[in-house]
Amino acid sequence: MIHTVLSIFLALWLAALALPLGADAATVITGIVRTQSGQPLAGLALLEKGEIHNNRWDRGTLVDTAGRFRIELGEGGQYGLHVYSSGYIYKPNAVRVETGKTLEVEVVLVPEPTRANDPVIKRVEFGSSETGKGKVMIVKMEVSDPNGILGPQVLAFNAATGRAFAMAPPRWVWSLKSNYPDGVYQLDADISQSPSDPRDWHFVVADHKCNTTDILSFPHKLQPPRVIQR
Amino acid sequence: MVRFIALVVIVLASAGGASAGAPAGGLAELVAEGERWWKSSPDPRDPVACATCHYDPAETRGWAASFPKYRPLPPPEGRVMTLFQANAEAVQRHYRLPDAERPALAITAYLTSHGAGTPISPGIVAGQAVFESRLRALAESVARGERLYARWCRSCHDAGAVTPAALLFPAAGNGQVESLERFLGRHRPELPRLGSDGQPSADVIAFLMSRLAGRPVSVAPFSVAP
Repeated sequence: MIHTVLSIFLALWLAALALPLGADAATVITGIVRTQSGQPLAGLALLEKGEIHNNRWDRGTLVDTAGRFRIELGEGGQYGLHVYSSGYIYKPNAVRVETGKTLEVEVVLVPEPTRANDPVIKRVEFGSSETGKGKVMIVKMEVSDPNGILGPQVLAFNAATGRAFAMAPPRWVWSLKSNYPDGVYQLDADISQSPSDPRDWHFVVADHKCNTTDILSFPHKLQPPRVIQR
Repeated sequence: MVRFIALVVIVLASAGGASAGAPAGGLAELVAEGERWWKSSPDPRDPVACATCHYDPAETRGWAASFPKYRPLPPPEGRVMTLFQANAEAVQRHYRLPDAERPALAITAYLTSHGAGTPISPGIVAGQAVFESRLRALAESVARGERLYARWCRSCHDAGAVTPAALLFPAAGNGQVESLERFLGRHRPELPRLGSDGQPSADVIAFLMSRLAGRPVSVAPFSVAP
């Protein structure tokens, strides 16, 4: 009897050792994106690390055609989750993720009714350059806004690395709440460790009123914006 | 008795000398106006209104009860705001109106009416994430407000007696409607101006509302369906 009990305890102890500890479990934001009527939406989900609207872009992912996304995080904490889908007003959402846990969110997007007030991506160009710190990919994107109220969300996302970036404005801007200028925004992406393929890059721009461009993906050819019928 | 007298004095003052029983019609009209601002953009070329994105009444029902709270505007603009101040900022940004005060006041009345009965819980919306950094900012605002109250208000108004009057705003009287922020700004003209859109008035209101936590939001004596 004693042997049996000891064996059970030993087996349970070994099983506990074999199980991953909570601290080792993945820290994840996962979710589903849909319309008000429940239709799934594909798009982009990008994260700011820390307080929302701080413009410190961190990770991101593509939202698949079933409306699902999953972002694995380096650590838990506060994040600003921004979800984009072409033809829809983007949705910002402040979230808190516990380390080692999975946060599930549901995001509902509403269509931009006219598209007349949306920012416009005019062109995207890729180049490369050698710098003192190594090789960089230079991405240039020309952007304008019909109301002159561009914000800091002139964003590039590399799906291969899962990294999101705010592109640098063509001139100095007083604060994140300022109206950002129309013009050519630039990103210098470090590719000294691994090359980058333009196919991996996706772009989206939102103004201060949440009006949002379509997501521009490879081959980065511009299409007229389409009004989504409710 | 002292509390009752203090409340009556505040109500009279807030009504600009009108009787304490200011016609409810003024407030009812303000709530209805707020609902219009909420649901319709003033710019036909840009029909996106508050309700376009915030269409779910269940989502917005807890908003009035959760203010003052930290509003995460882009740095360095993020700060503790009252509901009225947050509405004014949003109206300016989204509707681009030169004078946001009236629509912000109307929307404040509408959201307050919509949230009537919800327990006051500054900084916290039921069912939404709670962020420690925001609660810290709110606690600092409450502490600043308490110091301002001690310096400017306590000689005439005991805080325990006067805080319930904060629930009477937006207030109507003599055909006028007024926010608590505006009232605080004009109440003692000999004192430094609080500024209805500024941090000091948000701090004083944060202090007052912190003392009302748990009480229901009210916009007596009527309510309007959302």
